[in-house]
Amino acid sequence: MGRKILLIEDDRETASYLSKGLGQEGHSVEQANNGQDGLFRATDGSFDLIILDRMLPVLDGVSVLKALRAARIDTPVLILSALASVGDRIEGLECGSDDYLTKPFSFAELLARVNALLRRREARVDPAEHRLTVGDLEIDPLSRTVKRAGKKLDLKPREYLLLEYFARNEGRVVTRTMLLEQVWDYHFDPGTNVIDVHVSRLRRKLDEGFEKPLLHTVRGAGYMLAA
Amino acid sequence: MPTTLRIALLAGLLALLSNLAVIGFIYLRTHDEAVATVHRQVIEQGKVLADVYRSGGAKALDDAIDDTMTYADPQTVIALIKPDRTELKGNLETVRASLLAAPEGYRTALIRLRGQTTPREAALVVHHLPTGQWLVSGRIAGEGFAIRDTLERSLFIAVLVAGLLGLLCGIITAHYVGSRISGIARVANRISPRDLSQRIPVSRAGDAFDRLAAQINAMLDRISALMEELRLLTDSLAHDLRSPVSRLRSAAHAAAEASDPAEQEELLGSVIRQADSLMRILTAVLEISRSESFTGRKQFNWFDVGELAAELAEMYDPVADERGASLEYDRPSRPVPLFGHRQLLAQAVSNLVENAIRYGSTGGEIRVHVEPGERQIRVEVGDRGPGIPADRRDEARRRFGRLDSSRSDEGAGLGLALAEAIAHLHEGKLKLADNGPGLLTILELPVHAARAA
Repeated sequence: MGRKILLIEDDRETASYLSKGLGQEGHSVEQANNGQDGLFRATDGSFDLIILDRMLPVLDGVSVLKALRAARIDTPVLILSALASVGDRIEGLECGSDDYLTKPFSFAELLARVNALLRRREARVDPAEHRLTVGDLEIDPLSRTVKRAGKKLDLKPREYLLLEYFARNEGRVVTRTMLLEQVWDYHFDPGTNVIDVHVSRLRRKLDEGFEKPLLHTVRGAGYMLAA
Repeated sequence: MPTTLRIALLAGLLALLSNLAVIGFIYLRTHDEAVATVHRQVIEQGKVLADVYRSGGAKALDDAIDDTMTYADPQTVIALIKPDRTELKGNLETVRASLLAAPEGYRTALIRLRGQTTPREAALVVHHLPTGQWLVSGRIAGEGFAIRDTLERSLFIAVLVAGLLGLLCGIITAHYVGSRISGIARVANRISPRDLSQRIPVSRAGDAFDRLAAQINAMLDRISALMEELRLLTDSLAHDLRSPVSRLRSAAHAAAEASDPAEQEELLGSVIRQADSLMRILTAVLEISRSESFTGRKQFNWFDVGELAAELAEMYDPVADERGASLEYDRPSRPVPLFGHRQLLAQAVSNLVENAIRYGSTGGEIRVHVEPGERQIRVEVGDRGPGIPADRRDEARRRFGRLDSSRSDEGAGLGLALAEAIAHLHEGKLKLADNGPGLLTILELPVHAARAA
């Protein structure tokens, strides 16, 4: 189902590239090329997501975000920025954004994050699910137990958190940096394949001995949990 | 108005004022003294004559007046005046009515003595005798007042001389100051981005100008050191980016040449990976310079270093495991609080652990240890690999300093440099030591400095 996305970005090339890509995914994208215009359009609160560049003419991204939050508009905001240091990312997240992506980025990474934010918006409307199910996989967030085809899986705490995050984004691509940020809460880029190692461990426990794999690798993007 | 002139005028004015103060004081004191002396003498003389009259009567007074006229100095004024205001006896040439109009007592008046041509100022005492006669006695005060005149004249000259000397002194001072400053300015002018080698000569005097010169020289030393560092860094950055860029270029070239679609896709993936690793290098360089300039301090918070190390040990345990090494961590029994940047310290520790895994996993055991202390917290990562010989450790922590340049794995040689920069952000140190065998990397993080921040 297509959603309404507001793209506030002054770089024309990036804007048209993103708008085309998101349009192909079925979303309707509205564009603003400066902070003031963007803020004006965003204030009616009718958008499902705002993609906000941090450095904008007239009014910068952080000011737009602060003004929106001060006006009690809680549309999810994804900040795009060329400011890539850990301090910049934390500052961007602390001023009220829901996600922060540094330029340059792959479209797959952006799309995965956009979908996760839209999914979160959906979940906010629905009452909290007590049980997460993906195919024959059952997760009970209260007791933190996982069963597949009725058989209990023995997971370490971090493996459980990883699986729960996958399950909450069922059928959607989740990237390595999203996992690092959401499951471990680290905002730096590790040089090694540490996330892959954890995912492959989880996969061994989850899929070994079952005919149909649940945890898929999506080439060039990340992973996906799907029945 | 040029500064030199202003300094000269100011110095002149100051000299004039100080001279005026001294001379004015002397003037006032001597002037008062002269007047007071005359006053005392005149009163005394008048009292003596009145006493003579009181004890000896008119006859004794007549004798006394005669004696005075005979023996006293020519400045003495003495006269006995009849009630009809004509002189009975004495040395007054004329008697003016105004002289006797006022009541008895001390006064000053212009009078003319017998045998003199001009009236002169005199201090007088006038007594009204019971016989109706007036007794006038006193002195020509001209002498006392003449001293005053001389004094005034010389004082005027003194002030004039003082003013001129002051001005001269000011001009010399201004010239001296000006020449010292323009010496400094000349050197400063010669300094340009192309030539930072000029230094201001420092004399042996050790005065304020020498201190200024020494300060400027120290500043120049620092600037040229920074420029040199910047140049080296830019050079090495440009140089060290060549190899990842050329890898990226050859990957792109290979992808463009490939004919098989599957192979091409594979090669394009490698292009993206190379581009990502280039981005990673740039981010690390940025992070280092941010940390070295202390920009992350706003985001400092209290957190438990023991817990952070536990999280990272758990995170890297499977990675070490895949390389055939075990990762051990003995968590301290109590929390180890530190005021710092949790994310950046996590990155620093993870860099050390990654290095240990990358270069030391052959030794089988990697140990992470947190040593709480009163003044500093030590985070240690030790491996049992080949280690780094003591004489090459400085090289290892340099930016882009990869000891084995033939290795073309993902490490860009920034891991230790970044860890060190993050240690500096926390006013701490990164130390490399021998783990006997293997490498022991230590982050020393002071507790006091962080608390004060």
